[in-house]
Amino acid sequence: MHEDFAALPRFPFRRTDPTQPPAEYARARATRPVYPVSLWDGRRAWLLTRYDDVRAVVADPRFSGEFANPGFPAVTAARVVVDRNERAFVGMDNPRHDHYRRMFTKEFSARRMMALRPKIAAIANRLIDDLLTMAQPADLVAHMAVPFPSLVMCDLVGSPYEDHVFIMECAAARHGLTQTPDQAERKARELAGYFLQLIERKEQAPGDDFVSRIVAEHVRTGNLSREDFAEVGAMILRAGHDTTTNMIGLGTLLLLGHPEQAAAVRDDPEVVPGAIEELLRYVSPVQFAPRRVALEDVEIAGVIIRKGEGVFALNPAANRDPAMFDDPDRLDVRRDASHHLAFGFGIHQCLGQMLARIELQVVFPLLLQRMPNLRVAAKDGEIRFKDDMQIYGVHNLPVAWS
Amino acid sequence: MKAFKVHVDEDLCIGAGQCVLAAPQIFDQDDRGLVILLDATPPAELHEAARKAAKLCPARSITIEESIP
Repeated sequence: MHEDFAALPRFPFRRTDPTQPPAEYARARATRPVYPVSLWDGRRAWLLTRYDDVRAVVADPRFSGEFANPGFPAVTAARVVVDRNERAFVGMDNPRHDHYRRMFTKEFSARRMMALRPKIAAIANRLIDDLLTMAQPADLVAHMAVPFPSLVMCDLVGSPYEDHVFIMECAAARHGLTQTPDQAERKARELAGYFLQLIERKEQAPGDDFVSRIVAEHVRTGNLSREDFAEVGAMILRAGHDTTTNMIGLGTLLLLGHPEQAAAVRDDPEVVPGAIEELLRYVSPVQFAPRRVALEDVEIAGVIIRKGEGVFALNPAANRDPAMFDDPDRLDVRRDASHHLAFGFGIHQCLGQMLARIELQVVFPLLLQRMPNLRVAAKDGEIRFKDDMQIYGVHNLPVAWS
Repeated sequence: MKAFKVHVDEDLCIGAGQCVLAAPQIFDQDDRGLVILLDATPPAELHEAARKAAKLCPARSITIEESIP
């Protein structure tokens, strides 16, 4: 049976206010919280807009997170191709997911990430030293939001910092909305190939770094092939570069628009951890995730999702659900937002979340403390928002200080 | 007196670390990054933190048994 879904709203939606999620999410949540849309290929998919539904579905075994499933939904033709070729555990169900993920969990444990704080602060301070010598206005994205997580990742993984431009290009090719399938897949292969070379170099000359440790513990022992490690490594490089960057860019713009809250982040260390959770809730940069495909017909809130249909369990919508967050469209760095879903939920919740938290806890207070009277210095329309990307943020943020 | 007992299922743990943030007096991570239960019967002042850890755990590996005998 062929059904015509052309009359359904086409997903993804445009944002009318660039600092807010698409207005359709709140409307859908109020009237039809499990919301049918059509995708680029004319297929139907379902948006989940309520917090409880998102949490339930991503942990429900009647839905699969296997990227290779032919019904797995994607927002572009290019993303379908890279999803089908994904070999890292981000695209696997259990038991395979846990088997692979557990080889990497200790590298991103809370304790290990907290121990990196002084090193992370030194990297941030060095970049601020450089920024303070620059002509104003200066682009905070180019000079802080991009290089800061890059330098942290390169140090952690053991990849040379000169390679960060290449890594960013590979991340952008996957996370863009305008690439052709060939472009996206070529960059995916190039990044895995790059990581494979890194593994081979570390096999020859081990150091005190992530790659050398995984080689010693899992590759040499036969738990993990070099090729499979390269796929995970590529995933970690992409994820570590493109997410924190967007939190810093858009997060700074939001904080500077709320001077009293920015002052609290600057002056009160007790406010900072909660403020980061609130910024994560508010920005939710990984905006079309998590995704699932139904393995059988499933009823959610009175709606039947058919076997083989895709679901976008939208983090940005769940994180603005008034049933879970009072006055959800108000930024409030003093609220308890720790139950936000910006890192996802279920077994695929972000592997690098502790690293991201520490990076953000370090960078926002330092920027506000060391760049007095930090302010946005953009002409009308000068800030370019990432309407062309699957991970949302700003492409640039001109700032000035005194 | 109200009974309050924390259980963890290490087989479900994915090492997200939410429990360590929510209740560091009750949970830690072992040398694989997986959950360790430090205190299965925490004092009353930590009950709220324990409940929060259970709620935040993305793999639902923490359960809390509460009863009034």
